[in-house]
Amino acid sequence: MDVFFDILAYIVNNFVFGLTVIIFTSYLLLSIISAFALRNYLRKNSFIDYNNIILAPLTPSISVIAPAYNEEKSIVDNIRALLALYYNNFEVTVVNDGSTDSTFNTVIEAFDMEKVNYFFDYRIPCERIRGVYKSKNRSFKKLTFIDKVNGGKADALNAGINISKSQLICSIDVDSIMEPDALLKLVKPFMEETEKKVIGTGGVIRIANSCQIENGQIKRINLPDRFLPRAQVLEYTRAFLMSRMAWGKLNGLLLISGALGMFDKETVIACGGYSTTTVGEDMELVVRMRRFMADHKKKYQIIYIPDPLVWTEVPSSLKILGRQRNRWTRGTIETLAKHKVLFMNPRYGIFGMLSYTYWLLFEWLAPVIEFLGLLYFVLLVFLDQVNWNFFLLLLAFVYSFAVSLSTWAILFEEMTFHKYEKRREVLKLFVMALVEPILYHPFTVYWSVRGNIDYLRGVRSWGKMEREGFKNNKKGKTVLSQS
Amino acid sequence: MNKNIIQGKFIILYILAFITINFPSIILAQNSSTATDLSKVNDKKEIQYEHKLLWGERFYKLNLNSLALQQFEKAHKLKPGAYFPQYRINQLHVRLHQPKNTQIGDVVFDFNKPGILIAGLIIVILFSLVSMLVALITVLITRNKKIKQERYIQTLREKFQTWLVDYLFSKDIDQEVIGKLNSNTSAKLNRKILIDQMIDLSVTLTGIEKERLKDLYFKLKLDKDSYRKAFSRKWHIKAKGFRELAFMNIHTADEEILRCLSGANDILRMEAQFALIRLNTDNSFDFLNHLEKKFTLWEQLNVYETITFHQLSLPNFEQLLQSKNNSLVMFSLRMIRVFKLNNTSNALIKLLQTHPDEHIRNLIIQVLGNLKIYDSLPHLKKIYKNETYDNCMAILQAMCQMPDEEMLSFLKLVLDKEDDVQLQIEAAMAINKMGEKGSQTLTKLLNSDYKNYQIIIKHVLDKRIN
Repeated sequence: MDVFFDILAYIVNNFVFGLTVIIFTSYLLLSIISAFALRNYLRKNSFIDYNNIILAPLTPSISVIAPAYNEEKSIVDNIRALLALYYNNFEVTVVNDGSTDSTFNTVIEAFDMEKVNYFFDYRIPCERIRGVYKSKNRSFKKLTFIDKVNGGKADALNAGINISKSQLICSIDVDSIMEPDALLKLVKPFMEETEKKVIGTGGVIRIANSCQIENGQIKRINLPDRFLPRAQVLEYTRAFLMSRMAWGKLNGLLLISGALGMFDKETVIACGGYSTTTVGEDMELVVRMRRFMADHKKKYQIIYIPDPLVWTEVPSSLKILGRQRNRWTRGTIETLAKHKVLFMNPRYGIFGMLSYTYWLLFEWLAPVIEFLGLLYFVLLVFLDQVNWNFFLLLLAFVYSFAVSLSTWAILFEEMTFHKYEKRREVLKLFVMALVEPILYHPFTVYWSVRGNIDYLRGVRSWGKMEREGFKNNKKGKTVLSQS
Repeated sequence: MNKNIIQGKFIILYILAFITINFPSIILAQNSSTATDLSKVNDKKEIQYEHKLLWGERFYKLNLNSLALQQFEKAHKLKPGAYFPQYRINQLHVRLHQPKNTQIGDVVFDFNKPGILIAGLIIVILFSLVSMLVALITVLITRNKKIKQERYIQTLREKFQTWLVDYLFSKDIDQEVIGKLNSNTSAKLNRKILIDQMIDLSVTLTGIEKERLKDLYFKLKLDKDSYRKAFSRKWHIKAKGFRELAFMNIHTADEEILRCLSGANDILRMEAQFALIRLNTDNSFDFLNHLEKKFTLWEQLNVYETITFHQLSLPNFEQLLQSKNNSLVMFSLRMIRVFKLNNTSNALIKLLQTHPDEHIRNLIIQVLGNLKIYDSLPHLKKIYKNETYDNCMAILQAMCQMPDEEMLSFLKLVLDKEDDVQLQIEAAMAINKMGEKGSQTLTKLLNSDYKNYQIIIKHVLDKRIN
């Protein structure tokens, strides 16, 4: 029996150590690839004049689709901001997904809208459309408002796709704040398409908490005052500038965030639109589109743009953040399970061999293994089997690597987009890099494990996401409240 | 009560979480060998002995050597013949009397793991710490440097602007300005700023002033900088060189620009194209005839911008319609539409009937509609039944742009026979555009019992939608 346990311990130890080394090596490699990709992007960008796109007659048409559910507080400002985006050939479709507050009436009144005799073609199935509305005011002729029975975000997006007349669709969260030139930057890769068809583009999402906002636009960028949003700034910077950038370069990107993404409408419709049976509809759509293209032996690519294109409010309470992360985990599992045929499948190239495997091992399983590791450690402590010297050495190894990765992410941000102007803010980020592995990361592991448990229990709900929203501060400006 | 529970949960969670953060450390820290055998402990002395051994071992692992020595010495007294306490005592004497900077991972830190692993971990830790510091210092230094540089550039820009305007519009102070500029452009950065300023200025100038600016460019020997850049190995410097030479209309690197037209780097290729067009040689658009790669929409857009910005004469787009490169045909069609080249109508109709690519045919149909080439209507009607879905849609949309009563029966047929609602809507829209007769037809259909077109026709008649 002792021999059995010794062998088991040996296997567990070596497996975990091997996994750790692979994770760290992959992070390092992704960072290096990102660094080169970022440099190349910035160099190329220095030759680009996006103003050329604004008025040019050759640009593809875009439908911006914004699903809205109980957004009465901010919807008017946000729609105004969408209508003011820099682009000449676009329409805005706002889908009221059966809001229970006054979102519907607010939009109708603010934009002077009336019901039109729209023949709604349910090309992609979605919940019943109660009405399609257009403004009596010609200044808002780009705006279409759909009122439908509640069916979730994916369902609302599908309704928007059904009504779209454009070549490209841009899905956004209506409560996010888009950079005015976001469409220009997202559309450019579609215009640069060569042999490989561009089926989707995505950009960096930044955190709007504590930022000063006027009329639905960011006026002053501030680092969040509170701990959780600030920790997420670091997390997002790492994820977007170091990981997704590299996956984009490798054409292995599996996720275009639901907060902002642009897609080729023809491909989206051919794939059947957004899945309404998953809580991770953004990732699932990208994976399905990739599979569709590969199955039809079409060359394709998904492009990632490192520019900050959209600002969003992130949860600032443990409860809400926990729900969000729980949902992300369940969404990941659902997508991975639905497309398990991709696992190490050479037919799908980098997508199957590398991206899928990476997500499976590191995005889904790593937190679970981490949690099991904790339980194993507790057992070892009780059995007095811990080599404390080695433990401390490994602790230093993991901690220092994690912190150094975060500091490099800050450096990447500084060398590229340099959004935080005050030196104090950057120093605060460095401090956050030091404490984040101790005070924040464990929670993400916990939520991920909860997500796994909830998935096994059959929980499929979205989870209530309360946002603090925009509130007026003393200076009369609007900030994303931190109170 | 609730709050206390939540706080309690939070504390427990925090403790667990704190330990979790470094899961590999935790797992790997398992001790592979157990020094003591705790079985068969019967009497009190034996228990004390085991107790001393246990604590001795704990202190030993934590490098608390004096404490460990005490424990092992007590154990040794309790059981003088036992081998293990004596073994540890000897080891601890070595530890306590050895100089501190001995071999890493060997004696001072008794990790009980292979030395190579320990060395590897320590290297990673040191590397991480150093890289952290490097990142922090770089960020702080770069910040200061950037701020200072931005201020410097701004000041210099203002200075150069004033001098350039003085040079261009006050001829008597030429030498003075050249002297000032010469003395301020010894540094690479200064020359770069001056070149950028001159390029920006050149865009707004014409005639004599533009020539004077070019002359100044030569006098300050900035052309040599641009020429050198044009032959650089780095693509981004090369592209910058092309741009500078093109804006200042200097032809010294034309051959190099031509050579880069077929390069793999898309930006360099595009800059070469623009340079060639801007330099406005006899064969500015000649590269289009030799283009083998796809001429992307982005390149097309930029060429269009260059043509319109510099008001250049248009290439022969009708001839380009015959190109084997489909992207060039698309470009020509787009340009025909934008510049409203209605004289190409015959070529368009002919191409519509012969071109095998459905996407090109689709664009031709759109262009015919946009340019309102009514002669094409019978052809559009003829090809309708054999066309793809998208092209059928484009045909109906083109008919909507070219309302003609002759097409009424055809459109009614489409409305009647097509199963697809989108096609029906487009057909009804085309009918609606026919003025009085179209409206009457739709009204009749609306009230007809034959088929229920009500939803479609209401949609079409609602002017707020379209």
